[in-house]
Amino acid sequence: MKFREYNLPDDILYTKEHEWARMSGKRVKVGITDYAAKTLNDVVYVSLPKSGQKLRQMEVLGTVESIKAVSELYSPLSGTVTGVNDDLAMKPELVNQSPYEQGWIIEVEPSNYDSEKRNLLDAKAYSLHLEVTIKKLSQHT
Amino acid sequence: MKETPLYQYHREKSRITEFAGFEMPLWYTSISEEHLAVRNRVGIFDISHMGRILLNGPDSDEFLDHLIPTRAALQPPGKSFYTLLLNERGGIEDDLIVLKNAANDYLLVVNAVNTSKDLEHVTRRAKEYRVGVSGITSQSTMIAIQGPEAKRALKEAVSVNLEELKRFRFLPYTTSGHRCLISRTGYTGEDGFEMIILDSGVETPHFALKTWNDLAGRAMPCGLGARDSLRIEAGYPLYGQELDENTNPFEADLSWVVAMDKPDFVGRSALEEISRQKESRIRRGVVLSEKVPRPGFEILNGSGEQVGRVTSGTFSPLIRRGIALCYLAIDYSEPRTPVEVKVRDSTAPAEVTRPPFYDESRYGWKRERE
Repeated sequence: MKFREYNLPDDILYTKEHEWARMSGKRVKVGITDYAAKTLNDVVYVSLPKSGQKLRQMEVLGTVESIKAVSELYSPLSGTVTGVNDDLAMKPELVNQSPYEQGWIIEVEPSNYDSEKRNLLDAKAYSLHLEVTIKKLSQHT
Repeated sequence: MKETPLYQYHREKSRITEFAGFEMPLWYTSISEEHLAVRNRVGIFDISHMGRILLNGPDSDEFLDHLIPTRAALQPPGKSFYTLLLNERGGIEDDLIVLKNAANDYLLVVNAVNTSKDLEHVTRRAKEYRVGVSGITSQSTMIAIQGPEAKRALKEAVSVNLEELKRFRFLPYTTSGHRCLISRTGYTGEDGFEMIILDSGVETPHFALKTWNDLAGRAMPCGLGARDSLRIEAGYPLYGQELDENTNPFEADLSWVVAMDKPDFVGRSALEEISRQKESRIRRGVVLSEKVPRPGFEILNGSGEQVGRVTSGTFSPLIRRGIALCYLAIDYSEPRTPVEVKVRDSTAPAEVTRPPFYDESRYGWKRERE
C-alpha cells in the first residue's frame, strides 16, 4: 500500500521505530522503511553488526547516518545475525534508492518469530502509526 | 512560527524544518545533490530569515567604527565586508556582513538567531550618537545564488550587468520599479551573489516569488541542509556552533577581522589583554578516514587524552569523508597532526587541517578558470 508519498509493502512487518522485517524461509531480512529513508535523506554511512551476533527484539543493532543526522537501528526480532549487506559499505545510498530491496541491512535467523511477530505492525497499522507520528512532528514545528 | 516571503514555494517543494523561529526548507531533492550542484554548477538559497538592519544618520561612520572591530569609515561605498559584534569581554555576540552604501549609510546582515539580540545591542549602544537603527527583515527578501555558474544564472534571470562587480562589492539595482542590492558574497566557498530585494517582503511577496521562480529555472533550489554542509566544507564558522559570547576572535581564527591598531571599539581592551596571553585553543578542521563526526564529539591524542572538541560535523558529499570544524589545543593545531575522534563507543583516526576541506585549485571561488 501507499501512505502519502511513502511505499509500504504489504508483505512485510514494521516496527514503530521504522524498521521492516521480511520472512523468507527460515530467515528474515531487515531494513529501514521508505519513511525513515526519506526522512533521513542521503544515507552516507551504515554501521552493521557482525555475522553471528545475537540480538534481542528492539535492541540497537547499528546506526544509519545521513549528512544531517545519525539514527539508531532496532532489531525487529530476536535472533542471530546470519548476514549483512556488504554493498552498503560502498553504496550506502542504496538505502535511499531501494529501501525494501537492494537497501536491506541485515539478515537474521529469528529465535522466537511466532510470538515476537505480534509486537510488529502490518502495513495498515504502520500507516496509522505514521499518520500520528507526522501529525506530532508538524505540531512541534 | 515565521515565514519568509518565499514560503509558498518551499511548502510545496521541500521538506520543511524549523530554524531560528522560521519555517525553512531543509532540502528539496537531497542534500548531497544540492551540495554538488553548488560546487559544480549553481544553486539558489532563500536566506530571507537572516536579519537585515539599516544604520544611517550623520554619526553612522563614527558609531560603526566604535561598534565593530573592523574599519568602517575607511571602507569605500559599494563595499560588503565581514565583521563581528563583540561584547566588552571580547567575546563574539554575532558575525555579520556590512554593506556600505555611502558615508553614514549602512546595511547590516546578521544571523537569524541573533536578529533581535543584535537590534537591541546596536540600538542600546547608538543612544549617544545621531544614528537611526531600523530592522527591515520582514519587509525584504534575500536570495543567495552560489556556484561557478552563478553569474550566468543571475544575469539571465534579472538581466543585470555583473561584469564590473568584484568579490566583496555590491551594487544597487532597480528592476521593474523594485529596489535591489546585489552583493558578490556568500557562505558556500564558491563564487556567487546575495541579492536583497528591499521592497518585496512577507506582506508583498509577489516580486520576490517571481524572482525566485525565474532563478529556479536556471539554478537548483537548495535548502538549509546543503547550506550547512557547504559552509562546513568551506570552513566557515556558524554562530552558536563555532562562535559564541565566550569565544574570542583570535581563538576563532578570525584575527584578520580585528584591526587592533584602531584606537577604540567595543571589546578592544579585553582583546588587548587576551592578546598578551598565550592562546590555549584555536579553531581548526579535522578529516576522518571513516565515520561521521558530530557536534560535541571529543578529539583525542594518541594517548587517549582529550585535546579538542567538534563544533560542527558532517559527511562531505564532495570529498566523501567525515569532516568537522573543531577547537583544538594549540599543541595539536598544526595541519596534518594525527588525532582521533571519539565516535560514540569507538574512535576514528583523523587528521588536522586548516579548512577549506577541498582542493582550492579545483573548487571554490579561487579555482582556476576553465
